[in-house]
Amino acid sequence: MKRSIRIASVAIAASLVLAACGSDDAADTAAPAGPTDTVTVDPAQTEGGLLAAVQARGTLICGVSQGLPGFSIVEADGSYSGFDADYCKAIAAAVLGDADAVDFVELSAAARFTALQAGEIDVLVRNTTWTATRDGAEGAAFAMTTFYDGQGMMVNTDSGIDAIDDMANTTICVQAGTTTQLNLESTFAARGLAYTALTFEGNDQLQEAYFEGRCDGWTSDLSQLAAFRGTWPAEQGGSDSVKILADVISKEPLGPLVNDGDTEWFDVVNWVVIATIQAEEFGMTSANVDSIRAATNADESPEVGRFLGLVDGFDPGLGLDADWAYNIVSQVGNYEEIYLRNVGPATPLGLPRGVNSLWTDGGLLYAPPFR
Amino acid sequence: MAEGAAADTIAGPKRPVPWRDVRVIRFALQVAFAAGTFALVRWLAGNLTSNLDRLGIRRDFGFLSQPAGFSILGAPDFRAQDTIQAALIIGMSNAIRVAIIGILLALVIGVVVGVARLSKNWLVARSASAYVEALRNIPPLVLVIFFYLGVLSALPRITEATFIGDVAIVSNRGVWVAWVTVAEGSRAFLIAALLALLAAANVAQWRTRVFDRTGAPHRRLLWATLTFAAVTAAAWFALQPPIEPSLPVLDGRVVTGGAWLYPEYLSLLISLVLYASSFIAEIVRGSILAVHRGQAEAADALGLSSGQRMRYVVLPQALRIAAPAIGNEFLNLAKNVSLGIAVGFAEILRVANTAAGNGQPAPQLLIVVLLGYLTLSLIISVIVNIFNRRLQLVER
Amino acid sequence: MSATTSTRPPVRRVAPARWAKDNLFATPFNALLTLIFAPLVAVVAWWFLRFLAVRARWEIVETNLTLYIVGAFPRDQLWRLWLSLAILAVVFGLIGGLVGATTREAAIAAGRPLTTTRWDRVARLGPPALLLVSLLGFARTFTPFVLTAGVVALGVATSLLARRLPGAVRRSVPLIAVLGIVVALFAISGFGGVPRSAWGGLLITMYYTIGALVISYPLGILFALGRRSSLPMVRWVCGAYVEFFRGSPLITLLFTGWLVLPFFLPADFSTPTLVTRALTIFILFTSAYVAEIVRGGLQAVGRGQWEAAQALGLSPWKQTRLIVLPQALRAVIPGLVGQAISLFKDTTLVLIIGQQDLLAIAQNVTKQDEFLGKGYIIESLVFVGIVYWVASYWLSKESQRLEVRLGVGQR
Repeated sequence: MKRSIRIASVAIAASLVLAACGSDDAADTAAPAGPTDTVTVDPAQTEGGLLAAVQARGTLICGVSQGLPGFSIVEADGSYSGFDADYCKAIAAAVLGDADAVDFVELSAAARFTALQAGEIDVLVRNTTWTATRDGAEGAAFAMTTFYDGQGMMVNTDSGIDAIDDMANTTICVQAGTTTQLNLESTFAARGLAYTALTFEGNDQLQEAYFEGRCDGWTSDLSQLAAFRGTWPAEQGGSDSVKILADVISKEPLGPLVNDGDTEWFDVVNWVVIATIQAEEFGMTSANVDSIRAATNADESPEVGRFLGLVDGFDPGLGLDADWAYNIVSQVGNYEEIYLRNVGPATPLGLPRGVNSLWTDGGLLYAPPFR
Repeated sequence: MAEGAAADTIAGPKRPVPWRDVRVIRFALQVAFAAGTFALVRWLAGNLTSNLDRLGIRRDFGFLSQPAGFSILGAPDFRAQDTIQAALIIGMSNAIRVAIIGILLALVIGVVVGVARLSKNWLVARSASAYVEALRNIPPLVLVIFFYLGVLSALPRITEATFIGDVAIVSNRGVWVAWVTVAEGSRAFLIAALLALLAAANVAQWRTRVFDRTGAPHRRLLWATLTFAAVTAAAWFALQPPIEPSLPVLDGRVVTGGAWLYPEYLSLLISLVLYASSFIAEIVRGSILAVHRGQAEAADALGLSSGQRMRYVVLPQALRIAAPAIGNEFLNLAKNVSLGIAVGFAEILRVANTAAGNGQPAPQLLIVVLLGYLTLSLIISVIVNIFNRRLQLVER
Repeated sequence: MSATTSTRPPVRRVAPARWAKDNLFATPFNALLTLIFAPLVAVVAWWFLRFLAVRARWEIVETNLTLYIVGAFPRDQLWRLWLSLAILAVVFGLIGGLVGATTREAAIAAGRPLTTTRWDRVARLGPPALLLVSLLGFARTFTPFVLTAGVVALGVATSLLARRLPGAVRRSVPLIAVLGIVVALFAISGFGGVPRSAWGGLLITMYYTIGALVISYPLGILFALGRRSSLPMVRWVCGAYVEFFRGSPLITLLFTGWLVLPFFLPADFSTPTLVTRALTIFILFTSAYVAEIVRGGLQAVGRGQWEAAQALGLSPWKQTRLIVLPQALRAVIPGLVGQAISLFKDTTLVLIIGQQDLLAIAQNVTKQDEFLGKGYIIESLVFVGIVYWVASYWLSKESQRLEVRLGVGQR
């Protein structure tokens, strides 16, 4: 009988082993941590989809890039600022009424789609280019573009290179796993230029390599190049030691994206972007929105009234509070404010509005009506 | 149990009731265990497929034949139009190359340092110990990044590259060294070399027979080497030389010719060799110490010099003790090749990661990578085991 | 000096010239080696020391010391870390004191020499002192010194106390230790504390190391027992598990944990955080290695031991727990400590999946405006390298000491 008991005990031990290696939250139970630790909730868990899940949780989990000046940067006190970070805050303002209720998750280019698919983040606002494959095969849905960008090339001012056609037999630094990398390959192949692509997982190592003279050119989105050029350290010659070529290699529409299949959540993110544009069309800023709201008579200016949630009985059916757009404008600002304080001419990036202007100014920004 | 057995012998073969029968219990337990394992695996696989379907991610391996869209550093023949499969194969062959070269270098350095640690010369022994202690306590990833960002990038820029005669160019874009290229008519020479090898083997056998018959020193290695050298030298001059030297030439910022040791490759190789050799040195030292003192004393009594004692008596026995542990270090080195991803060396994981970033499905890519490294591990352990078994047979 | 009473051989004192002749110039070949190595060693040592003392611009470490140690951990919550450190000091003091006392008793009982000359005791303090110096040496205020002194004092006091504990308390020390570690974790993240996603630097490195250690070692022992089971099915499954994890590179597994693990869970499960997933991978990986090490130990325990245990009428569980495992584990202590050191070094790999561990921060701090583009990466990596080195070196030295005391490998 002893033997069978021994066998049984070994078998029980072994099945315990399997149970332990099988359940992935075994680690969690054995090493308890705060309740805030597993905050991510998958859309399927709650009946109301991701919107209800985010509202129940009380914070928005937003995927951003790993420290890109002008787009998402950690301040010394641990808070985030930047163009992309502001859109995370705008979504939080609309959904939760609090622009600060955002948990930022920094993601590398290679990891961003998987993080979104795995439900680790609610929305990805990480200067991601809208392409057919990504919209299709990646299972992602792109909301309205927040930033119309193009891919450019940065070289040393004294390199003697004035155009991409001068760049035969050069080494070019590029971030791995991006559309930028693919565009670089096709552009140089089309022009019949021999070159070596030096790829990096992040912009950090890439910039270090550029400083060391390991590559002759740095290709990326123009906004990113401007961001790095604007903050080029003086020890390396300052901003004037590098220049961005006039050639624009490709179209790069950048915007927020969410998982396919949850149209309610997609609509929310989409309309947050639209609201910032609409606010600029109205001339509504974080500074004057309160006085506009106080002065607005919903009967006289129904457009503004509907936008600010002042018209009784009007509900666009987004599942948000009536004052969601007001919250965005008052807590984050309109598109112009977001643009100017993060990437505009007065910032180190110094990017003019260009195509990122309202359609009335000859740009591409056009808000569908609030009706 | 004991009582049951006693009862059996007295009352003749009487089966116990099924639920107390050890055979039945064993069988039931195994079935339950197998069913549990199977259920767990099925549960995980079912979750995976349903999640991938829910998110609209494809589950097949058809993506392997799609164009990669990116180029690979150090593989100039690979173009962006080539398939992802071809890219992964290049990644795998890069990994194998670093593993093989790394293993050979680490073995040589490790044995030298391990023997040096036991040197009678205090300075040499202490330097060797410092080498071992310094390297084996640093994470290999720190070494790789240090060599990449700290050492190799501090080399001169390409415009100010250092020339070592005509044979090497040193810059932070890599080191180019003189190398050889295979010439046109190399097949004839290859056949001649094979014949030379055959001849050498025959000569060695003949010398062994002479030794067996007469007891005269056989010197079969010397004889065989000389034979091989003579035949190949004759072929070299009679036929076209099979290889041509290729010297690196710098023109502007472009180097042509020579072999390009690019920083990503070099930093990975150097770090892996340093790290693994420190462990191998420790194993070699331990194994030499494990060889019984009497063996060394016997060698002394025979009047062998200290070099001969090491070469003929101690090292062969130490090798037998050390072989399994050294084989383990080979496996570790091969697996550590995946650290190349930190510095952008295009081993298979890095290639797969780039493909995943460009929209290819991560689960399938990781399966390919895992299979690749498991195969590499398997091949190395098979070779080590064969070697091990041979050692044991030869010795006994 | 009478050789009959001392267990140690007599120490011979030699004149320096004689020593040099014996150890440096014994033969012509040796002399040649000395002549080649002496300048080489001198140059390397001079170059390294000059870098440490003169050339290195340590201000990058001074400015960012807190960042290296805790990452983005909220600075107003640092008191939680000190509290947690104090608890850990008690836990490790208890373990250290107890292991010291037990092995001392065992060594005395077996008549093995206790390697505690005065010099040994001083030398033993070297590595931890070096660790403290390399961390605190860059502190700009006095608070860390005071608090560290307090924590160290607490640890030493506990270890002294542990030697006088009654047997009943001694036996429950493993449980107390695990509880202590759990409480220490809870002190940081519980009660409105800081979630693990905000931990970084040395803190997250230590979390992965200790967390994976505590869980994977028992798990590994179970797998080892499973591989020695008399049921073929159990043997095969455990064997397949161990071989799979030992054959795969850890980074690839971490990638799987990062990118694919969430897909293995049902859709209505909440996705575990990246920290939990990485920890899970470390646990699975390390337990396979521990299983292999322990299996070696189990094989070394003679058949007779099992039979003797059976003859005593012990239950199978007691045979394993009281007779076989203690002997098996004692035989593989060096391997187990070695695996712990490996795990500590392997935690650096989390930087590749985007975690802000010590090594990741060493790279990131060079991006700060005042250090960007000035080549500070060397200082930063050397600092981090020294921290890793001293910690691993300390552990391996302590393991060697333990080995000698337990007489492992002596025949």
